[in-house]
Amino acid sequence: MSTTATTDSAKPSAIRKMAPQELLRVEGITKVYDGSVKAVDNISLTVATGEIFALLGGSGCGKSTLLRMLAGFEKPTNGKIFLAGKDITDLPAYKRPINMMFQSYALFPHLSVWENIAFGLRRDDMAKGDIAERVESMLSLVQLDKFAKRKPHQLSGGQQQRVALARSLAKRPKLLLLDEPLGALDKKLREKTQLELVNIIEEVGVTCVLVTHDQEEAMTMASRIAVMSEGSFMQVGSPDEVYEMPNSRQVADFIGNVNIFDGIIEEDESDHVTIRCEECLHYVGHGISGNVGMSVGVALRPEKITLSKEQPQSEYNWCAGEVVEIVYFGAHTTYHLKLDSGKVIKAQELNNTRDLSCGLTWGDRAYAHWNDMAMVVLTY
Amino acid sequence: MNKLFGRAWMIAVYIFLYMPIVTLVIYSFNASPLVTVWSEASLRWYVALANDGDLIAAVWLSLKIAFLSSLMSVFFGTFTAFALTRYKRFPGRTLLSSMSSTPLVMPDVIVGLSLLLMLVSLQHWLGFPERGLFTILLGHALLGTAYAAVVVTSRLNEMDKRLDEAAMDLGCRPFQVFRLVTLPLLVPALVSAFLLTFTLSFDDVVLSSFLSGPGYSTLPMVIFSRARLGLNPTINAVAAVTIAVVSIAVIASSIYQSRAERQRKREVAQAYSDANQ
Repeated sequence: MSTTATTDSAKPSAIRKMAPQELLRVEGITKVYDGSVKAVDNISLTVATGEIFALLGGSGCGKSTLLRMLAGFEKPTNGKIFLAGKDITDLPAYKRPINMMFQSYALFPHLSVWENIAFGLRRDDMAKGDIAERVESMLSLVQLDKFAKRKPHQLSGGQQQRVALARSLAKRPKLLLLDEPLGALDKKLREKTQLELVNIIEEVGVTCVLVTHDQEEAMTMASRIAVMSEGSFMQVGSPDEVYEMPNSRQVADFIGNVNIFDGIIEEDESDHVTIRCEECLHYVGHGISGNVGMSVGVALRPEKITLSKEQPQSEYNWCAGEVVEIVYFGAHTTYHLKLDSGKVIKAQELNNTRDLSCGLTWGDRAYAHWNDMAMVVLTY
Repeated sequence: MNKLFGRAWMIAVYIFLYMPIVTLVIYSFNASPLVTVWSEASLRWYVALANDGDLIAAVWLSLKIAFLSSLMSVFFGTFTAFALTRYKRFPGRTLLSSMSSTPLVMPDVIVGLSLLLMLVSLQHWLGFPERGLFTILLGHALLGTAYAAVVVTSRLNEMDKRLDEAAMDLGCRPFQVFRLVTLPLLVPALVSAFLLTFTLSFDDVVLSSFLSGPGYSTLPMVIFSRARLGLNPTINAVAAVTIAVVSIAVIASSIYQSRAERQRKREVAQAYSDANQ
């Protein structure tokens, strides 16, 4: 549970702006393998029309099983799936108005690009002329008109990805499932493709559920993210909510980098809280729903910490340590600071001038400080 | 030094493998009726072969049996392999999987003998089947199915299961998935299974001997029985013709395959360099 309740209403959320028309509803879905292993444990969720919903988690967290149940490849042990109000739990995959873009694409190697895209249309009773027209429009949507006659192996990774997208959109599904959509591309191509993919999806206006282990991918593409672990949702929210207001240590740790201090609430007022940790005293500039004496975690993102050589004048929100590691990333540098207690924290400094601005080097004594709105208090 | 030894070893192995075949081909052009004595080159035994009705009938019978039995083997082997790879749980699965591979390890003599006993008692009760072409076919198909199942299983196992799911996702019923996706991708495996079972059947002598009836002698049976009466160089001519046909087929297929592979690599490289421009 998040204890930063007071800032909630101040934050504009992406979901509230959308039309609240519900497309997908999952009720208490559970998948048990071999009698005892719970891959998905009693998950419920709703996805509104037009949303891009991401399931984010490490391997084995159940995200793929959940996606496969939506597609119809796995039968849920318990629970129901509704699509546009209709119960589709027992509908086989080939009867569901849902299409999937597979990880590493699963293009049919014996068929040309054109035939791959037409494959799903030919299974329906669609007139030949209509099929051709649809395939042409899909090809131009993904800008592969010139490649219609090629076989999948005659395409580069990025082109294959676009064919896969065109194939999964050709039947105009009500729901599009994306399984690690950019997993097979190299880093440079990813950023470009990510935007292309989102643009195409928005142009078509299809609702999406995507599965990924890459938090960056989830953050940039999705309008809402569900962070999963051990078959359950840990937190569901817009990308900025999940990043800035994680509701547990696990979420905070999984999304991005974070320093977590353990401490005890010393003072609990409606406009501020102070938390005593071994390393320092935290002054949090807003009220929380805890009480004095409670032990909590204080999560602090590395980019919200400022380093300096001089000791800050304030009596809270700073700590001192020795620089033990400097990792240069180009756009920013991450300093690892070993505090007097032995704890190592990370601080990220923007390289906004060409000389490394804060002038710290290995072995220097440095002071890390942050403002009173930088941290999140975690009770779990 | 090491390199020299390796080369010498390789040459020795090649000689060991191919010397008998080369000798056989050379001696098929020998004019002398004595198999081991060279007199002069002639096509005499090829002419004799062309006039040897029994031998030619045996060749045709063997080809016919090999062709039909390998078709049967591939058909049954494919479905066995499909059931075993795609359905992980059904009653009798363990039985099917072990039974389908028993013929691989069971000595041919035992298989032949037990089939013979079964067919004899069947014929006794039902008046069917008469021993001959049909019974040899059955025996060869039994053995071939096991081999074909192994070949097709390995191909099915390495095939991406997501392709099946993609087909189903796009609206294919299970049988359509098989017909439109699995089968076309299996073609190379089916061809190799066919060639393998064809050769197995073509040179089988044990099963055929048990299962054939009067008037149905396959080529290996004829060669075998003639060899016991003293070898006639006509057999060399048959063997040389067989070797020629097989070598041409093998060489042609490997040239075709390596060309296709090179072509494919070129196209893949082309696709990526196009995309980078």
